[in-house]
Amino acid sequence: MAAALPAALAGDATRPGQHTRLHSLVRWLFIAVSLTFLAAVLLAPLVTVFVTALERGLQAYLHSFANPDTAAAVRLTLTTALVVVPINTMFGLAAAWAIAKFEFRGKSILITLIDLPLAISPVISGMIFVLLFGLHGWFGVWLREHDLSIIFALPGIMLATMFVTFPYVARELIPLMQQLGNDEEEAAITLGAGGWMTFFRVTLPKIRWGLLYGVVLCNARAMGEFGAVSVVSGHIRGLTNTMPLHIEILYNEYNFVGAFAVASLLTLLAALTLVVKTLVERTGYRRR
Amino acid sequence: MSITLDQVTKHYAGAPVVNDVSLDIGDGEFFVLLGPSGSGKSTLLRAIAGLSGVDHGRIALHGRDVTHVAARKRGVGLVFQNYALFRHMTVAENIEFALRVRHMRAQARRQRRQELLRLVALEGLDQRLPAQLSGGQQQRVAVARALAHKPEVLLLDEPFGALDAKIREELRRTIRQVQRELGITTVLVTHDQEEAFAMADRIGVMNLGRLLEMGAPHDLYSRPATRFVATFLGAANLILARCTPDGVQMGANTVAAAERPPGVEEREVVAVVRPEEVEVAASRDALSSAYLARGVVNEVVFTGALESLRVRLEDGAQAPLLAQANGDAGASLLVTRTRHEQRGFEIHPGQSVAIGVRRVHVLPTPLSSFTACAASAALADALSRQPLLAELAERMKTRIAMRAEPQLGVPDAACAADSPFVGTTAIASQTDCAQRAEWLLRRGAKDLLVLPEQAAVPQRVLIHWMGEAARSATLAASASALRHLSAEAVYVGIFPEQSASAHPQHGMRELLDARSEAQLAHGLEMRTELRFGDVAQQLARRLAEAPAQMLIVGVAELTRFAERFRGLLDGGQWPVLIVYRGSP
Repeated sequence: MAAALPAALAGDATRPGQHTRLHSLVRWLFIAVSLTFLAAVLLAPLVTVFVTALERGLQAYLHSFANPDTAAAVRLTLTTALVVVPINTMFGLAAAWAIAKFEFRGKSILITLIDLPLAISPVISGMIFVLLFGLHGWFGVWLREHDLSIIFALPGIMLATMFVTFPYVARELIPLMQQLGNDEEEAAITLGAGGWMTFFRVTLPKIRWGLLYGVVLCNARAMGEFGAVSVVSGHIRGLTNTMPLHIEILYNEYNFVGAFAVASLLTLLAALTLVVKTLVERTGYRRR
Repeated sequence: MSITLDQVTKHYAGAPVVNDVSLDIGDGEFFVLLGPSGSGKSTLLRAIAGLSGVDHGRIALHGRDVTHVAARKRGVGLVFQNYALFRHMTVAENIEFALRVRHMRAQARRQRRQELLRLVALEGLDQRLPAQLSGGQQQRVAVARALAHKPEVLLLDEPFGALDAKIREELRRTIRQVQRELGITTVLVTHDQEEAFAMADRIGVMNLGRLLEMGAPHDLYSRPATRFVATFLGAANLILARCTPDGVQMGANTVAAAERPPGVEEREVVAVVRPEEVEVAASRDALSSAYLARGVVNEVVFTGALESLRVRLEDGAQAPLLAQANGDAGASLLVTRTRHEQRGFEIHPGQSVAIGVRRVHVLPTPLSSFTACAASAALADALSRQPLLAELAERMKTRIAMRAEPQLGVPDAACAADSPFVGTTAIASQTDCAQRAEWLLRRGAKDLLVLPEQAAVPQRVLIHWMGEAARSATLAASASALRHLSAEAVYVGIFPEQSASAHPQHGMRELLDARSEAQLAHGLEMRTELRFGDVAQQLARRLAEAPAQMLIVGVAELTRFAERFRGLLDGGQWPVLIVYRGSP
C-alpha cells in the first residue's frame, strides 16, 4: 500500500504537526502576547501592592496591623467566610444532588437561579437586601419593632456574601455528579448500605475533589467580595468593615502603607487559596 | 422457588416497559433474560433488585414477598455492566463493603475476602485500586463484591458488555463455575444469544416488555413458538406454508414436519427452516433430504467454520413463499454449510442448485400472513400501505398479499377469485363495513382485520368472544398479535343487564377462567374487566373511551352479523380483528 502512494504526498509539508518556520513564529507570538498582557495587568499591580506596603519598612508594615480597626476588619472577614462557606457548601451539595440525580418540574429554573448571582452586578445584590431588610424596606418596620438589625450589621454582610458566592459549589458539582452517574450508589444500596452510609462512604469520596475545588473558589470570593458587602455594611469602623472595605477607607485617608498592608494580607490569603486549589487539582487528577 | 414474579408491570411515560411478566425461577437455576435493547429486560432485573419499583404485580424471593421491601433489605447481589466499583476504595475495601455494612469483625471479613478472591481467581490483588485493574479483573471484583454477603440471588446486568471477546469467554466460564460451586440462583440479562446459550439452564426471551417464551436453550432453538424467538435465537428462514394431513406443504412440495402442529384443519402456517437444516445439491436426485425447490446462489460468504449462502428461489407458481419477502426480489433463503459439506459440493455465486430441507418446524401462531382485500386492485394496494397493517407485517416479518373482489359486500355474489382465503384478511373500515365483513366471513375468511384509515399502533388491546366455539381461537390470535405490540391486554367480559343482580359471582368466575386459560394455554397475560349490557354497544363505548385501542373479537355464528356489528365496525375509528370459528 505504502509503495502505491504518490511520491508527492510523502513530502507534504503542510500536514498538521509539522514544524515549519511560520508555525514556530506564530507559537512564540502567542506566548509573548499572553505573557506581556499578564505582566501588565496582573503582575505589575500585585508587585505594586507589596512595594507600597513595605515602602516605609517592615516596622511600619507590621505596625499597621496593630491598629484595632484593621484587626477587627480581618476578624470580620474571616468570621464571615467561616459562616458563609459551610452553609454554601451544604446548599451546593443539596442543589447539585437534586439536579444531577432527579428529574423534576422546574429543574431548569433551579439551574438558572443558581447562576443568577454570577450574572447580576454585586452592587445590585447588596441593594436587594437593603430593599428587603433596610429601614424603609419590606421587613424594616417589623425588624425595628423586634430590635433586630440586619442591614449595617453582621447578618447583612453574611447574607450579601452568601448570595454572591452560592453558585460556586453547585456549579462545580453538577457536571461532575452528572458525569459520574448513579451506579456506585445503587451498588452500595444493593449491598445493604443505608442513605447516610451511601452518602458518606460512596458519594462524598467520589466527589471530594470537585467539592473541595468549589469550596476553595467560594472562599476566595467570600473573602474578597466588595460591591455587595459595601452596600449593606454601612462602613462602621471596627464593626462592619470587612478587609476590602477597610482598605478603601484607609486609602481614602491617604494612609497608603496601612491600605496596602491590608491589601497585601488579602492578596496573601487569595494566593494561599490558589495554592490550595492547585494542590487539590493536582492530587485530584492523579487520583482520578 | 427462588424468584417468583407475578404479573409484574412497569410503565414509563404511559407506555408499558415491562408488561405483565410472570415467571418462576427455581433454586440454583441459571436463568438468562434475553432480548434486544429496549425490551424491558434490564428494567425487570432492576425491579427484582429493588432499584426500581413496579406499578403492578408481585415479586417474591424465596417465598418472601419483597414487592415493597427496600433494595438494601432484599439481600441480592447485583453486578452492573460498567462494574460500578467504588473507585476510591481498594479491591479489598470494595469486597468487604457489604460485610462492613453488616458490622462483621475485621478477622472474619479478611477471611471471607480471601475466599472470594480465590473464587474469582484474583488472589493477591487486594490492595489495588479499580483504576489499576483491567476490565475483566474489575468485573471479577464486582462479582466477588456482589457475593460477599452471601446473597440468595445473584443478578447480572449485561456483565460482559464492555469486555472484548476473549476475556468475555473466560469470565463467562468463571461465572458459570462460581455459580455451580455456590449453587446460587442467578439471573443474567443479555442481548447476546450466544452468551445465553452458553450459560443458561433456562432462557426467557423478552420483546416489547413482554416475556415471549422460556425454556431450555435447546428446546427454544429447535421448537420456538413465535416468529420473534425463531429469528432472534439464531437465524431462521420463515416460509409461508400450508399445513396438510401429509405434512407441511411449501410451494408444490410437501415435507414432513418435525412435530405435528395442533389442529386438524388445513390452514396456512409459518414454517421455520434453520439455515443449517437446508441442503443444497447439484440436482434433485443428489439430495439426501426432502426436495423443496430450485434456486440460484446469490452470495457465498466464508466465516471460518461455516460457509453461509444466500440462495434465491426460482420464481413460479410452485415456489415456496418466503414470509419475509414482501414481493421484493431481494429475498433469499439463508443456508449455512459445514466444511465437510463444502468439500462434498463446491459452490460459486450464480450457480443453480437444488434445495432440500432436513427439518421443518411449524410455528403454532395463527396469524400467518395478511391479504389486503378491497373492491379493486388499486384500493387493495392502497390498503396494503395502511400504516398499522404495514407496521404489523413488518414486525411479524410476514407479507401482505392483495386481492380484488369487485363484488365485495354485494349479497349473493360469488368470490371473483376462486382461491381460498388464507391468513388474515384485511379490509378498510367504511360505511358498510359490517356487511362486507359478513360477506367475507360467509365465503371462507377466518380472521378478518378491519382497519380505519388513520389507526396508530394500539397501546391497549380489548379481547372479547361471543360463543365458546371461538374462545380458544380468539385467545390464540390475541396472544399472537400481542407478541408484536407493546400493548396491554384487557379481557372485557360482558353480561346481560339483568344478570348483574342475579349472578354477580358467575361473571367473576368466567373472567378468572378466561384469564387462566389465556395464561396456561397461550402464555398471554391479560387484565380483566366486567361490564353489563348489550355486547356490541358496550364494546363500542369502551373503545371510544380512550385513543389507541384495538379490539379482538371472537365470533361463533354469523346470524344477523351485519346488524349486530354495524355500530362497532361501520366507520369505526379503531382497528378490529374478528376471529370467526363456527361451531362444528
